[in-house]
Amino acid sequence: MSNNQVGTVYQQIIQDVVESSRVDFEEGGVDEHVLEELKLVSLALRFAFWRRCGWQSKLSQLGVATFPWDPKPEPQPTISNPPTVPSNAGNYQSMGTPPINQPQSGLSMPQLSNGPRIKPEPGLESSQGMNQPSPFQNQPMPPIQNASAAAQRAAAHLQQSYGSRAAASINAIQSGGQPQQNGTPTMQQMQMMQQRAALAQAQAQSQGMQQGQRPQMTQEQYQRMMQQNAANQLAQQQARQNGQHPQNPNPNGQNGQNGYQGPPQTDGPGDEEEGFGVVMQGNEVMGRVEIDNMIRTQIESMGRHMEGGGLMLPLRELQSQRHLPSKSRKGKNADRGTGQMDGGDDDDVKNEELDEDAINSDLDDPDEGLNDEEDEDEGMGHIMLCMYDKVQRVKNKWFCVMKDGVLTVNGREYVFHKASGEYEW
Amino acid sequence: MAATGQSFYELYRRSSIGMALTDTLDDLISERRIEPQLAMKILANFDRSITEVLAEKVKARLTFKGHLDTYRFCDEVWTFLIKDVTFKMENSSQTVQADKVKIVSCNSKRPGDPQ
Repeated sequence: MSNNQVGTVYQQIIQDVVESSRVDFEEGGVDEHVLEELKLVSLALRFAFWRRCGWQSKLSQLGVATFPWDPKPEPQPTISNPPTVPSNAGNYQSMGTPPINQPQSGLSMPQLSNGPRIKPEPGLESSQGMNQPSPFQNQPMPPIQNASAAAQRAAAHLQQSYGSRAAASINAIQSGGQPQQNGTPTMQQMQMMQQRAALAQAQAQSQGMQQGQRPQMTQEQYQRMMQQNAANQLAQQQARQNGQHPQNPNPNGQNGQNGYQGPPQTDGPGDEEEGFGVVMQGNEVMGRVEIDNMIRTQIESMGRHMEGGGLMLPLRELQSQRHLPSKSRKGKNADRGTGQMDGGDDDDVKNEELDEDAINSDLDDPDEGLNDEEDEDEGMGHIMLCMYDKVQRVKNKWFCVMKDGVLTVNGREYVFHKASGEYEW
Repeated sequence: MAATGQSFYELYRRSSIGMALTDTLDDLISERRIEPQLAMKILANFDRSITEVLAEKVKARLTFKGHLDTYRFCDEVWTFLIKDVTFKMENSSQTVQADKVKIVSCNSKRPGDPQ
């Protein structure tokens, strides 16, 4: 019976792959330790690591057949997440491309999980500490007066410590809670191109969120958008209205924790979400900005789709982003702006409930649905993967001859050399 | 069998063994123990290996019948969605039934692939 054969066939495949990958391991200069572990996959499950997470045990967990290695000490059951993308080729490749904040060398970057600041501007770096009106960080909709009080305090600190260098930050802080309606359509295009960079920004953003800086971030975002539209002057006016010192805003890196120094629009995706939240919340300034956001959300969801639903992200990052937003903000979806991150989806539900004008949620829902469908489709469904020798049709009768196939039905797996099928349409 | 350097279908990565492998590689990558490029190579090895092993080692035959719900032929790939399908394993008279099964099938006579 073909099901009985599955175990031995698969074991042979595993051995084969491990053997043939050995050269690649050496060529890749991968740590001897890892190489050793990969060998162990095929030999014996000696290491706890592979018992838990190895290829064989993952296969065993699927329970599609009885495998030769199964009678050995039972693998500790772990929840495995089968990849939802049929071929991960694209993902692996793109993971290796430079723009992503993933180290090429396999080094661990501990700060990634904590939401790192990317390239903080030296002068502004420590301003992050000052930019923490922490009392408001967990309020769902911080009252504007409170926010501005805190903002003024922070701004004063900044001004004292850093003078004009902190101008942008101050402006951002001061005009927090007074979002302006300045959306330039080209933002979307730029953001699309910069989605990868947004990965990194998302980290910084979620950190900013923890610090309750939603309003400032918003302002900052808008300032950047207006950069070519004499936006700086507007910001200064606002600053004057708040009784603070007008400064020359420096659109790049106004905020310590968001001091990305690349092209200004690189910061865009992450922050714009902030803007969206505020626009929706407090004021009736809607219109172009809002519409822009709608369009952008669609584009981003497309982007997210192409990115493989966040598979590129290290799991660590994904997880930290999953719970960061829900902890630090209520209902406002912060991460949605960064296309690749699935983390925001969790918040969408809340967003729907809390946000009367939740325009975005309507757009996001179909996307989620699509992904779910795909998951089902590509998960442990009933599927036959094979090659065809012949496919013929006479009227509505079809005759097929398949070969070299793997069939998964009812949770069991079968391999076959040849299969002939007859079915009518 | 095919010589090295030839490309193989990535079709079987969707099987349980392929998924288990990609899953494991994903873990390794996210733990930064291996590089994505290496995972790519391993997956390519897998493509070759499973194709060869299936061709060489597996002798089982089966027949199946059902109602064709959807068919699609695109880029030399047949995709069928068959409902109320019954599989008959040869040699064991065992039958397996399923409400529906999806068949993804690549051309066995691939240009340049002597299979």
